[in-house]
Amino acid sequence: MKPQALHPPKWPLKFLRFFLKEEYLEEIEGDIEEIFHENAERFSVRKAKRIYTWEIIKLLRPNLIRNFEFVNQLIQFSMFKNYFKISVRGLLKSPVNSFINIFGLAAAIGFSIFFYAFVVYTFKRDQFHENKNVVFLSTFTASREGALRQYGQSPRPLGELLKQDFPQVINVCRVEDRNVIVKHGDNIFNERIRFVDPTFLDMFTFPLKWGVSTSLSDVNSIVISEPMAEKYFGDENPIGQSILVKFSAENGKEFKITGVAKKFPSSRSFDFHFLINFENLRTAQPGFDSHDWSAFHQATFVQVAQPSDIKIVEAGMEKYRRTQNEVVEKDWAIASFQFEPLATLHIKTDEIREDVFREGTHSNITSIKFLTGVCTLMLLLACFNYINIAISTSVKRLKELGVRKTIGATRRLVIVQFLSENIVVTFFAMLVGILLGWLVVIPWFEGLWDFSMEFSLNDPRLWMYLPIIMLITALASGIYPAIYISRFQTVTILKGSVRFGQKNPVTKIFLGFQLVLACMFITSAIVFTMNGDYLAKRSWGYSNRDVIYTAVENESVYQQLNDVMQRNPKILSISGSVQHIGKNHQTTILHFPDKDFEADRLSVGPTYFNTMGIELVSGRAFKDFDGSDKNAVVVNETMAKNLSWVNPIGQQFRIDSITYEVVGVAKDFHSYSFFSLLRPTFFTVADKKDFRFLALKVNREQEQSAFEDLKKAWATLYPEIPFNGGYQEDVWGNYYEQMGIHGHVWRVFASVAVILAMLGLYGLVAINISGRVKEFSIRKILGADYKNISNNIFKQYYVLIIVSLFVSVPLSFIFIKSVLDFAYDYHMPVTIWVVTMAASLLVAVVIATVATQIIKVFKTNPVEGLKTE
Amino acid sequence: MKKTKLGEFEELVLLTVAALQQDAYGVEIKRELESRLKERLSVGSIQSALKRMEDKGFLTSQFGEATAKRGGKRKRIYATTSHGRKVLEDMKDIRTQLWSAIPKLAFELKAI
Repeated sequence: MKPQALHPPKWPLKFLRFFLKEEYLEEIEGDIEEIFHENAERFSVRKAKRIYTWEIIKLLRPNLIRNFEFVNQLIQFSMFKNYFKISVRGLLKSPVNSFINIFGLAAAIGFSIFFYAFVVYTFKRDQFHENKNVVFLSTFTASREGALRQYGQSPRPLGELLKQDFPQVINVCRVEDRNVIVKHGDNIFNERIRFVDPTFLDMFTFPLKWGVSTSLSDVNSIVISEPMAEKYFGDENPIGQSILVKFSAENGKEFKITGVAKKFPSSRSFDFHFLINFENLRTAQPGFDSHDWSAFHQATFVQVAQPSDIKIVEAGMEKYRRTQNEVVEKDWAIASFQFEPLATLHIKTDEIREDVFREGTHSNITSIKFLTGVCTLMLLLACFNYINIAISTSVKRLKELGVRKTIGATRRLVIVQFLSENIVVTFFAMLVGILLGWLVVIPWFEGLWDFSMEFSLNDPRLWMYLPIIMLITALASGIYPAIYISRFQTVTILKGSVRFGQKNPVTKIFLGFQLVLACMFITSAIVFTMNGDYLAKRSWGYSNRDVIYTAVENESVYQQLNDVMQRNPKILSISGSVQHIGKNHQTTILHFPDKDFEADRLSVGPTYFNTMGIELVSGRAFKDFDGSDKNAVVVNETMAKNLSWVNPIGQQFRIDSITYEVVGVAKDFHSYSFFSLLRPTFFTVADKKDFRFLALKVNREQEQSAFEDLKKAWATLYPEIPFNGGYQEDVWGNYYEQMGIHGHVWRVFASVAVILAMLGLYGLVAINISGRVKEFSIRKILGADYKNISNNIFKQYYVLIIVSLFVSVPLSFIFIKSVLDFAYDYHMPVTIWVVTMAASLLVAVVIATVATQIIKVFKTNPVEGLKTE
Repeated sequence: MKKTKLGEFEELVLLTVAALQQDAYGVEIKRELESRLKERLSVGSIQSALKRMEDKGFLTSQFGEATAKRGGKRKRIYATTSHGRKVLEDMKDIRTQLWSAIPKLAFELKAI
C-alpha cells in the first residue's frame, strides 16, 4: 500500500477538531497522525484506525477541551436545584393556588390519558390478525339513486372462481350467517351460526384454547367461542362432545366439537360464536345454489401472497362484472369490484353497507374527533387558570425577581426559571393526572359502555406521549407569564414603583374565554339531558306500548299459536307478518317508467295496521280476506314525499315484473331508533304461509300477563324450541340506555369544565382581595356595609361577565345545534331559552364563587386586616 | 506550594523531557516512556500531563519542524525550565535522604 493513500479516519478527526482547544490542535493532531502511520506499518490499517479513534476519545480531558457554552451551563445545574427548591416552597406557601393549578392540570391530563387510551383502543382494532395486510374483503359498488354505494357482499360464485383463476390468491373464505337453534342436553338457545370455508382459522388469527384448527375441513365438526363453551358446558373441556344444530324445525344435524377459541381480544370488530364448514349450507338450505350469480354471499375474503398482488386481482375482475351484469336484473348490477384490506376495514365500516364487520360497533373516528376537541378545551381551561394565577401572584415575587436580576440573572435566565417552576408544577399535576385517568376516568368510561379498552400503564408509547403532553402543557401555560414577568426593569422593581398583576387585560380575556367555554359545556349538558327526556316521550309513529310479538318458524307454528292466543281475552288483535317493524325489512328496488327507487318493504297480514296502531293519513288499509289486495301497497309519508307525489293514491310502480298500485298512505313511524333517518317504507300483503312474526295487540294494563300467557302457550306447544319474542318497546335494544349515557357523559364534562373555570375565578378573586385587605379594613371601619363592599368587588367583574355572556350565548346556541344535528337525525328543537338557562346557571355559580370571598372579607376583624403586612 | 506539587506520573514525564533534550515532543516522549515503563500509554494522558506542567511552569515549549509523516503539522518541542529542573533535583534529594534514613535492619526483617 502506498503511504500517501493512507489517511486516518475522517470523522474522529472532525470530532477532535470540534472539542480540542484551538492552540493544542496542530501539535496533537500531528502526534496522533504520526502514531497512526507507525501503527499502520506495525499492525494492520484497520487496527491503526481503531487505535486512532480510541486515542481521540481518550483525549477528552477537562484541561484539553475547549471552553464550551454548555460547560458553563452545567455549572448552572446548581441554579436549577435552587429553582426547584423555590418552586416547591412556593407551592407549599399558597396551598389554595397550588391546589387550583395542580388539580386543574391533573384533571385535564387525566382526560388526555383517557383520550390516549381510547385512540389506542380504536386503532389497534383487528390489528391482532397476523395476515391483516394480505387478507382482503371483496366488496362491490353499485349505483343507487345516482350515487355509487359500496357493499360488503359478493356474488356467490365469486370466491371459488377467484381461487381457480388467480395464482396470486392463496386462500378464499366465504362467510354466511344463519339463525339456528342449538341444543345440548337441557340447554336450548336461539343462536347465530357462521358457515365458513375451512381456511377461516388460517386467514384470521383466532387461536384455539382447545382442539385443532384444521378440524373445520370435516363437515361434522364445529368450532365454538369461549363464552359459548361456558354457556353450554360450563368449565369443562367440551372437545369431543356433540351438540345438535337445528337449521329449521325438521332439519337438524349433530356436530362434534373439535375446537374452542381462546378469549377474543377486546378490540375487534369481527368474531364468531359457532363455526361450521361451508358445505353444511346445503344441508341447512336444501337446493342452495352456490353458482347463482344473482344472489350474494354475506362476505368473501381472499388472501394473497403479497399486498401488492391484490392490484393484479383487482385488474382482472372485469370479466366477473360482465358475467354478473348479464345474469341479474339491473337492480343489482355491479359497477366495480374493490378489495378492502383487513387492517383498515374497521375504519371504513361506516361507509360499507351490509358489511359483516358492521355487526360489531361502528368505527370510533367521530368519537375521536369529538374527544380531541373536549380534551384540548379542558387543557386550555387548565392552562388559563395557571396563567391567570401566575400573573396575579407575580406581584409577590417582584422582590425576588429584582434581586435575581441585580446579581446577574439575565432576562433569559428568569424565563428559564419560571418555565422550570412550571415544569415542576406540571410534573406533580401529571402524577395526579395519571392516577385520575387510570383509576377514575377510564374505569368510568368503560363502565358506561361496558367494554374494556385494555389500558395498561405498561405501554412504552404512553411514556412517550405523557412527557409530550406535559411539555406542551408546561410551555403553553408557562411561556406567557414568564415573558410577562421577566420584562420588568430591575430599578423600577426595587424602587417599588411597579404596580401590575391585578389589572392585566390578558387575565380578563382568559377568564372571559373560560366563562364562554364553561357556558358551552353547561349548555351541552342541559340539552343532552333534556333531549333524552324529549326522545323518550317522542312518538314512534305507532303504538309501541301495547304490542308484544314473537318470531315464528313457519305457517303451522303461526297457525297453532294464533289459535291459542285468539281465545285469550287479553288479546285485542292478532296479526302475522313476514317482516316486523323494528326487527327487519326487505330492501327493494321499485321501477318507475323514468327511474328506479330504493325502499324498505314490509310484507304483512291485512290486519297489521290495526294491531300495530299505524294510522293512515289517506286512502285505505288492506282488505281482510284471503287473496285480497294482491297488487296493492300502502306507502309511508316519507316515501310519498321523496317521490314528490301530490296525490299518492293510484300511483303505480313495478317490482320485478309485477305492477303494484298505491291504495293508502300511512303516517310516518320509526322502524329503527331516532339515531337514523326515516326511510321510505311500503307495505304489501303477504301470504299466510310466509309469516315469520306474530304481533299481538293487548290492553296496556294486561301487557305483562299477556306476555306471560304467550310464553306459556309457546312452552306447551314447543318445549324443544326456545321462545324468541318480546315487548315491542324493547326492539330498539339498549337505545334509551345509550341516550342516558350521552346525557351522563356531557354532565360530567360540563361539571369538570365549570369546576375548572370556577377554580380559576376563585383564585383570581382571592388574590385580588388579599391584595386589598387593608383597603377593605379601612372601608369597614369607616362604616361600609355588605352592599358597599360587594359592589366594590363585583365592580371589576361586571363588564367581564356581561361581555362573556354576550359572546357565549349565541356561540353555545350554534355549537349545540350543530352537535345535535350531527349526532341525531331527530332531536328536540333547540331554543335560545335552553342556552339562557345555561347562562343563568353559570352566572349563579360565578356569583356564588365571588360571594364566598365577600363573606370572608366581611367576617374578618378589620383590626386583623390592618395588622397584616 | 500547591502549584509546585508534582504528581508521580508528571515527574516521570518531566524526567523524560529532560532526558530527551531536543527530541522531546509528544510522540517521542510517549515512545520513550512506554519502552521504560513497559506499558501502553495514551496520547491523552501524556498530553494532559504536559499541559498541566506547562501551566505550573515546569516546562516551556516551542514549535519544531513539520514532517510528511505528521501530515504537515509541526511538532512541539518541550524543554524543562530551571524551576522544573530544581523541583526535580529537590525531589531526588528528598528521596535519597529518605532512602538513607531507612535502617538496613528494617529491610532484612521484612525479608524474613
